[in-house]
Amino acid sequence: MAQSNLGGDPLTNRVDRRVIHRALVVLVVAAAAFFLLTAMGSPALADTAIASSHASAAAGDASATATQTISIHAEAADATTAPGDNRVIQQLVNGLVFGLLLALASVGLSLIYGTTGLSNFAHGEQVSLGALLCFFFTTQQPVSLPLIPVEFTIGWPLVPSAIAAVAVAAGTGWLQDRFLWSPLRRRRVSIVQQMIVSIGLSLALVNFIQWWFGAERQRLTTSIDTRLDLGMFSIGQSTLWSLLISLLCLGGVAFFLMRTRTGRATRAVSDNPSLASASGIRVDKVVRLVWVLATGLAAVGGILLALYDNAAAFDVGARLLLLMFAAVTLGGLGHPFGALVGSLVIGVAVEMSTLWVGTDLKYAVALGILILVLLVRPQGILGRAERVG
Amino acid sequence: MTDMFEGVPQEPGAPKPDPIVTADKVHRHFGGLTAVDVAHFEVQRHAITALIGPNGAGKSTFFNLLTGFDEPQTGEWMFNGHSLVGTSPAKIARAGKVRTFQLTKALNRMTVIENMRLGAAQQSGENFFRALVPGTWKAQETEITDKAEVLLKRFKLWEKRDDYAGSLSGGQRKLLEMARALMSDPEMIMLDEPMAGVNPALTESLLDHIVELKDEGKTILFVEHDMHMVRRISDWVVVMAEGKIIAEGPPQTVMSNPAVQDAYLGAHHDTDLSEDAS
Amino acid sequence: MDILLDSINEMIAPATAAFALAAIGLNFHFGLTGLLNMGHAGFMLLGMYGYAISTSRGAPIWLALIIAIVVAALFGLLLGWPTLKLRGDYLAIATISAAELIRYLGRSNSLQSLTGGSTGIRGNDFKFTFEELSPLPDENITFLFWTRHGSLSSSWWLVIVSWAAVALFALLYWQLARSPWGRVLKGIREDEDAVRALGKNVYSYKMQALVLGGVIGALGGVLWALGNSVQPDSMGRPTTFWIWTLLLLGGAATVFGPIIGSMVFWMALVAVKGIAGALIPTSVLSPVEIEPFSLVLVGITLMCLVVFRPQGILGNKRELAFND
Repeated sequence: MAQSNLGGDPLTNRVDRRVIHRALVVLVVAAAAFFLLTAMGSPALADTAIASSHASAAAGDASATATQTISIHAEAADATTAPGDNRVIQQLVNGLVFGLLLALASVGLSLIYGTTGLSNFAHGEQVSLGALLCFFFTTQQPVSLPLIPVEFTIGWPLVPSAIAAVAVAAGTGWLQDRFLWSPLRRRRVSIVQQMIVSIGLSLALVNFIQWWFGAERQRLTTSIDTRLDLGMFSIGQSTLWSLLISLLCLGGVAFFLMRTRTGRATRAVSDNPSLASASGIRVDKVVRLVWVLATGLAAVGGILLALYDNAAAFDVGARLLLLMFAAVTLGGLGHPFGALVGSLVIGVAVEMSTLWVGTDLKYAVALGILILVLLVRPQGILGRAERVG
Repeated sequence: MTDMFEGVPQEPGAPKPDPIVTADKVHRHFGGLTAVDVAHFEVQRHAITALIGPNGAGKSTFFNLLTGFDEPQTGEWMFNGHSLVGTSPAKIARAGKVRTFQLTKALNRMTVIENMRLGAAQQSGENFFRALVPGTWKAQETEITDKAEVLLKRFKLWEKRDDYAGSLSGGQRKLLEMARALMSDPEMIMLDEPMAGVNPALTESLLDHIVELKDEGKTILFVEHDMHMVRRISDWVVVMAEGKIIAEGPPQTVMSNPAVQDAYLGAHHDTDLSEDAS
Repeated sequence: MDILLDSINEMIAPATAAFALAAIGLNFHFGLTGLLNMGHAGFMLLGMYGYAISTSRGAPIWLALIIAIVVAALFGLLLGWPTLKLRGDYLAIATISAAELIRYLGRSNSLQSLTGGSTGIRGNDFKFTFEELSPLPDENITFLFWTRHGSLSSSWWLVIVSWAAVALFALLYWQLARSPWGRVLKGIREDEDAVRALGKNVYSYKMQALVLGGVIGALGGVLWALGNSVQPDSMGRPTTFWIWTLLLLGGAATVFGPIIGSMVFWMALVAVKGIAGALIPTSVLSPVEIEPFSLVLVGITLMCLVVFRPQGILGNKRELAFND
């Protein structure tokens, strides 16, 4: 099912050299338009962007999910203004860190796409859910469940809370596949319909999370991270731990995919579900496992990102979703390792771009890259040219 | 046996007295796999030509190349003396060469009559601005509908006129697709496995329709696995294997050609070289 | 009773008409042609910016409208040119990204003096040309149970103009959908290759549909802005998803689907909020939680619609909005 969508009809899949020319023209026109507009709009200095965007934070419209104004890495960006630091190196390091954390979420998105063909628009909410569940377990403040007017305090230490959060989040993956996606696949609901279902789910989940945890940014920990100065750049101590955890998780996924029986079965399903099914692989079990894995990884990513940014709000994942899509597309839809590479590229591009454009435009840079990739090489860096067009 | 093939040598790439389609040195490969490698190929006008060959011989790919749905790496091919290199499928269709598909493409959520109307060429109402003014296309629409109704009666789809195409049986969809292709009065019709998935009860009438088309002066090229059909209606048979044309000849004799028997019985008859296998 | 009156008031509100108009645009994309445009709010936002910025710089209303249309058309051309050859879900990702890109640019500080940054453009800066045209008296007018101002902001004047625009474009949809032009688009929705094989230039038709639907979306954006203000964050992804929900609710590929869908959607939203506020004790569902609660229901509605009733309220069961 996924394959017929993936490979598509060979008839429409001619690789067209004109596409590249088109893409270039679009890029040039868009860039020209932007610079023209910037010139008309008397350019504000990039560095003032952070301060003023904080000031206007209150202006956000309640009807939009995103009270987008708080730039996500404001803290990290502030650190770079310390004299003597090399901003380029520092942003590169920040970018790699961000990319690695983003990769945790993107790899799951890519695995789901690979095995089921679904572009899961609700994956961002899994990231937010992980972060806020961790907050739920660890905070010293009283918490409550939606619709239940009883407040109580859990207040576990951070690590057990994080583990519990990942477990619950992975559980939601299992539940989703068991009661939503697997029935839809069995009913042979088309992939476009499934995609719109995932959009509905995203809409429901993001508001559910807001309802549950409120619209404020929540801090997972009150302790202040000690920064290590490594000459060329500085990095937080807990960030190093986050990196280690992220690398362990990604290494684990790689080991799983390459070395274990189930992992090989997963790749087989990714390559060709009907063939995999015919050769005795239980596709449904593999997909169920992929959902658990993907949602669990997203939760890990969410928690680590929340620690990295000091806090998380209900819409953190929603804002990262398109970055994940950018990463996954850049690496080649359905290639988990491509998603890793893509995440690193996107992470670095996003952070490095703040050297030239305002921080409030850094996500726009990632989206620009995504559109460019779609235009020039829709199959991504690692994708095979014949498969898409 | 028509005599227009008299004197045509029974060999691959044989020149025809009045070719409507010619192709030279057409080469298409996917990655490292060669799907089509045809040195020379001609189709005789006003005749029914069959393109056969074992699975993975590259027939469907060659078909796609000839109709503009795929582009070869090298080669040149002509229709009515005009080169078709780099021509879009739509332009090729407008030039008078229309095709049907192996997996029938009836437009399921449109009615049978709307499917038929869509097939008509040069509709002024298909221009956005004229579409806004019904007066500019109503008369043509009536003409088209009349023509469609004649064809529907001929193809025994008249009762289904207002049904959604999705509700038709496999064979009826094949008929609809063929009738729809005729709406544009093409000179040449290319049928990709017209018998695939057709209920045996409908086969005979489908064959009769194809022969009728030839009698009306149209040229037909079809890909088929069903040898019964090939023997019954074709005037000339072209055999492909592993991307190349390996034999040509009249249907009565071509199957006894040793190269053909080799290709069909040889070790390759179950290997897939291209998407042709689907 | 108040809830009922509020709901009906919402049903005829200019914002409802604006969304109905935008949904008519999306219906050209998705209902007729099968294009997965997930960035409709981007077209709306561009229309709003085009209209508001040109008006605030002194353009008369007709010029401002033309500018809004041209900007949206250019965006459609620029977006469609390279992406309409790609598979459907790529178009979805490209459009959603492009729409977000517009929003990020609009709210960025570097364009502050043009777009007003994240605070946007105040209504007073661009509404006056439209309000001056109002033939209605400059005072609050009560009609049956509902009171609105005659010509200012979300006025009776705007109600009349918005619904007239909706009626006009519904008529346009009806006329085009039954024309040979619309037939080609429906054919493309069903199977591009089949239509290509019949000699139609599929790419050009998809482009026409994308631009037309986008322009209608931009006009919907202008209507919305005339009742509110230009605020980039109000045209984020949720807005696009609401338009999808209400289109599928009413029935894609139908003339009245977008209109009925928009009315039912906004009416239901107000009714749900009202009923939830009245019936559920605040200890269970506090006032700030009512908004997200009702939007959770919107999301669930979208999921259920797509799975159980893809043809919507008005759609024909056999002419479903989705390919099998």
